[in-house]
Amino acid sequence: MPMLNDDVRKQIRAAFADLSGPVNLVLFTQGEGGALECEYCAETRQLLEEVTALSDKLTLEVRDFVADAEAVSSLGIDKIPAVAVQRGGAQPKDYGIRLFGVPSGYEFATLIEDIKMVSRGAVDLAAPTRQALERLTKPVHIQVYVTPTCPYCPRAVVLAHKLALASEFVTADMVEATEFPHLANRYQVYGVPRTVINDVIHIEGAQPEQQVLAQLLQVLDDQTMARLRVDWEAHLN
Amino acid sequence: MTLNMPVALGGDSDNHYDVVIIGGGPAGATAAIYTARADLKTLVLDKGLTAGALGLTAKIANYPGLAQAIGGAELLQVMRGQAEAFGAVFAQDKVQGVDLEGELKTIYANSATYTARAVVIATGSMGRGQRVAGEDRLLGRGVSYCATCDAAFFRDQVVLVAGNSDEAVEEALFLTRFVRHVHFLSPTPEIKAPEHLIHELSAHPKVTVYHGATVREVLGQDRVEAVRFGVRGQAEQTLAVTGAFIYLQGGKPITDFLQGQLAVSETGCLMVDREYQTGVPGVYAVGDVLCNHVKQAVVAAAEGAVAGMAVEKHLHGRAQLAVDWSK
Repeated sequence: MPMLNDDVRKQIRAAFADLSGPVNLVLFTQGEGGALECEYCAETRQLLEEVTALSDKLTLEVRDFVADAEAVSSLGIDKIPAVAVQRGGAQPKDYGIRLFGVPSGYEFATLIEDIKMVSRGAVDLAAPTRQALERLTKPVHIQVYVTPTCPYCPRAVVLAHKLALASEFVTADMVEATEFPHLANRYQVYGVPRTVINDVIHIEGAQPEQQVLAQLLQVLDDQTMARLRVDWEAHLN
Repeated sequence: MTLNMPVALGGDSDNHYDVVIIGGGPAGATAAIYTARADLKTLVLDKGLTAGALGLTAKIANYPGLAQAIGGAELLQVMRGQAEAFGAVFAQDKVQGVDLEGELKTIYANSATYTARAVVIATGSMGRGQRVAGEDRLLGRGVSYCATCDAAFFRDQVVLVAGNSDEAVEEALFLTRFVRHVHFLSPTPEIKAPEHLIHELSAHPKVTVYHGATVREVLGQDRVEAVRFGVRGQAEQTLAVTGAFIYLQGGKPITDFLQGQLAVSETGCLMVDREYQTGVPGVYAVGDVLCNHVKQAVVAAAEGAVAGMAVEKHLHGRAQLAVDWSK
């Protein structure tokens, strides 16, 4: 039974009408008969198959989380289901855009927006944001914890993904909190969206671009980061 | 295994409008009458008929032309019917954010994302001012404003819902699917929601309702551990809870969803020119969300009328307001 009904397919086709460049979705799942537990791998695969069938600009590459160790390592995949949204075609590029957990509910709109963004190869960030991103000299890892029933969450995730597309130093993950409770627990997620930057910077709610940027730029301040890390490690202990 | 949420994009295939009006009170509904009558594709987003000040008013006896006193919700229903007759669409939805830059504005709501060439803000002034002690400190650590977002983190736990609106009641009922018990604290003796919702809440075995209960403090070190509250004439009480879902209302202009995109006065209200346009072209504000406003339905309606005409002028590139499009 298809996951996307006729009306949703129609909406997606309309959204994909002006896709310019090719987009490759890399899905990490578990192998046939694998021993790993993955609650929504099969659903994620079916969903991506149905979505990629709606445009000839889209391709789906399915990787096995256990067998494809090299791809798992090079793309930094540590849990499944995982989706990397990459530029496809003759000049492929990975922007560090990831979705961990099934992109259902409100997060389905995030997947569609990611595809459009990567196809364009450009994002509509404010000029001061672009200038600030050029100052980055260190890796920035953004995790945005979400639930599928959270209407605020896609804005936080899409902003993080825009930052990843705009800067070589930024990688950004959507993490569906209820599928990865150990991580939700580790990062004290009791409300979503909760954005976690380099483990130690935590942002509650879907904040405007300039506020997220101000928090993010703390990674350039070694003293602040050291202090935040002490607090963070105290929590872990 | 089945998904816990369906896979869908919100709204209809076509979510683009000439004008989106946020708030369906007398100001918003009247603006809709004027924009829809000017043949502009008009959407009004509103949290519900009884979500605002007029919808909660039991009787209104000084609205010109209506000699008999009428219920606030009833008057609103008449206004909305009039706007709908001209082609306006009303949708029950809560706006979470907007992007007002550029010619095409984006409105992010719970059920869908909309785009429009003009936006009218008519959200009224029932927003919260002062926070409860401990609320800001424990936000994201048990304090939440969105049960549908966060209920899954409180499975089999005991939580508090503070509020007296239909939104508070609906969120409390949603929480009962996850939590062990909900303590519902209404700041007023009466809950201001439709009767069937109040009945469902009161009869629910997982819910205890406290009437006239004022939350004084949310307590806890790193996480919410309890809440302290008072009921007039009784000693203060403390309830052990791990979640505090807060839907309280107040008397402040509702502008939080704008996230600083429009200038506000020291008292938090929006500022506009003579045609009710804000500092951002194509964005208008009317009704109780404005400064120095006389809080009367007829004044809000009049402002909606002027803004409706100004939107038409803006979108059609007119030099002057057009008063009657039937001519």
